Amino acid sequence: MRSAGRLALAVTLVAGALADRAAAQRPHRSGLWFELGSGPAAVRVACAGCADVSFEGGSGGYLRVGGVVSDRVLLGVEAFGFDDETFGFTAGDTAFVAETATVAAVALWFPWRSGAFLKGGVGIAEGSFTTTPTPGSPVIAEGVGVGLTFGVGWDFAISRKFAITANAAAFITAIGDLVLPSETVDDVIATMYVVSIGFTVR
Amino acid sequence: MPPSRVPLLVALVAGWPPAFLAPAAAQIPDTTLPPWTPPPQRPWVAVAEIAAINVLVNRFDAYVLQADWAIGAGTNSWQTNLRLGWEWDEDQFGTNMFAHPYHGGLYFNTGRSNGLDYWESAPLAFLGSWTWEYFGESYRPSLNDFFMTSFGGIALGEMFHRVGASIRDNRARGGGRLGRELAALPLDPVGAFNRLIRGEWSERGPNPPEHDPGAFVLRVHAGAQLLSDSSQSDTVRSAPSVLIDLRYGDPLIQPYRSPFDAFSVRLQTSAGSINQLRASGRLFGKDLNATTARHRHLFMVNQRYDFAKNPAYQFGGQSIEAGLHSRWHLRGSFGIRTQVFADAIILAALDAPSSGVGERIYDFGPGGGFRVEVALERRGITYVTLYGRNEFVHTVSGASADHIVSISGLEITVPIAWGLGVALHSEYYSRTSRYSDKPDEMREFPEARIYLTWTSASRPEGR
Repeated sequence: MRSAGRLALAVTLVAGALADRAAAQRPHRSGLWFELGSGPAAVRVACAGCADVSFEGGSGGYLRVGGVVSDRVLLGVEAFGFDDETFGFTAGDTAFVAETATVAAVALWFPWRSGAFLKGGVGIAEGSFTTTPTPGSPVIAEGVGVGLTFGVGWDFAISRKFAITANAAAFITAIGDLVLPSETVDDVIATMYVVSIGFTVR
Repeated sequence: MPPSRVPLLVALVAGWPPAFLAPAAAQIPDTTLPPWTPPPQRPWVAVAEIAAINVLVNRFDAYVLQADWAIGAGTNSWQTNLRLGWEWDEDQFGTNMFAHPYHGGLYFNTGRSNGLDYWESAPLAFLGSWTWEYFGESYRPSLNDFFMTSFGGIALGEMFHRVGASIRDNRARGGGRLGRELAALPLDPVGAFNRLIRGEWSERGPNPPEHDPGAFVLRVHAGAQLLSDSSQSDTVRSAPSVLIDLRYGDPLIQPYRSPFDAFSVRLQTSAGSINQLRASGRLFGKDLNATTARHRHLFMVNQRYDFAKNPAYQFGGQSIEAGLHSRWHLRGSFGIRTQVFADAIILAALDAPSSGVGERIYDFGPGGGFRVEVALERRGITYVTLYGRNEFVHTVSGASADHIVSISGLEITVPIAWGLGVALHSEYYSRTSRYSDKPDEMREFPEARIYLTWTSASRPEGR
């Protein structure tokens, strides 16, 4: 997670330097655009009746594809995935591989003429928690539900066609009950926070 | 904070007549007034008003109602809430599915009454709800509240903003003007407040475009309803009932201009409480043929709000639907209006045996479905309506279950004279619940309603 964080910071700085030259090029995006990115992330898992929440680090990535509605509003579809290989539902437990994903309709709003934007979206969410008992074969607990996403970002234009995009976003996923080998965890809400760098073709 | 339902009913049932009910002469533009221009945008004022709403509501609940969750809200609870994050709450159905959306409408209308449009105001509903959930209560933030306050607040807020604008008349003077401003207040209190402090309760000027929907149909029903539950076959409940249908604008004769430029809403009350509030507003529309064509077809995307709570069942939610809205011309001015829509439910709530968690007796979940409606109409006024709707809901909080809900009905209105008529409604609600840890369960709820009706309608000449 630390190395991913450093990489994200370095790319942001480089993109910032490059952006000076291209900042005057408007609009932010036009026609159809797509964006791919990743970065360090964290997940918080809460459930009904649980005394505390689980909070773990991981990594996340996304693909956003969309079109321009107006100079300041973009609509698209965003697929986001999160992965943590050492997740645990209780303190000290690292027995699970946690994978969550959302596919959401998103709106990006550039309220000012700068590259700053706000993002919001809603869609479907999925969570998968896999553990492998010894001895035994992998046991997978899965849930499907609804997801929300909110975020802020900044497009650093590096040419008329390309931009580096910095994002900070939250993904809230409600995935229902999870049937684990030892217990059932009710009404799970997994919230992912991710800071990412994306490459945008616009 | 469940807001009082009485003012809402008063405004809708007996309130000052909206613009579309005013005599035709009153609709003539006043040429002595300048044309309407969009008001200045004040986004930061809207944000400040959201903060003010949250502080005022919290302090009212703390000082006046002595609510522990309001008294306990402070830096300690903020820290805890930020650390623990979202959970599902156990509030009553009416609180979660009606009061919170109404509250969300206040946030949304801070934007609408400060010059922002629908899309620009929508983030404010989320902002207001998020800040309230994390900082306004000592309880952990509730995810279902966040959904309902935000999405429901946008739908109800825009609808109330438009009906409020229609009730108000910037050209009027004197007591009539004051009466209109007061009648719109329960629907759009934030808009009323902003108008008051800006001197717009008495200042004469042009009306905004929302004031005149172009075409409308208002039908008021008064009568009785009979409800039954298949699990208690010997029990039939009867109650007095008032039902109001409003169609604001007509998507088939008015090209798409902005979200909710055409919407329909149904409000049903019984024994002083709201039994049903359903609304569907056009978010986007595209004509599939010429507006002058004999048969009209339109692709539409709607935002829906559903709330149904009666002694037999509870069902509600926020959804987006997309589909075809058509009018098939018959002889003379008669036509058949058809609607075929598929929907995605963002979050629904419904009751069933074994559903809910803790004190809550209903489940939350997303889902999807479709609806079909066929109506015989004359000049936009419907006389026979046949409808069916099926929804699948996958529970994410409550029982480990999937629910399938079916709502179908037939409504017949027989006109008599002077806009009066008699209506017979028959509705059938059924629910099948499939539990992962219990046997399946199915229940049916037939309902009949008989009404005296009064209908008022208007549409542009020749349409």
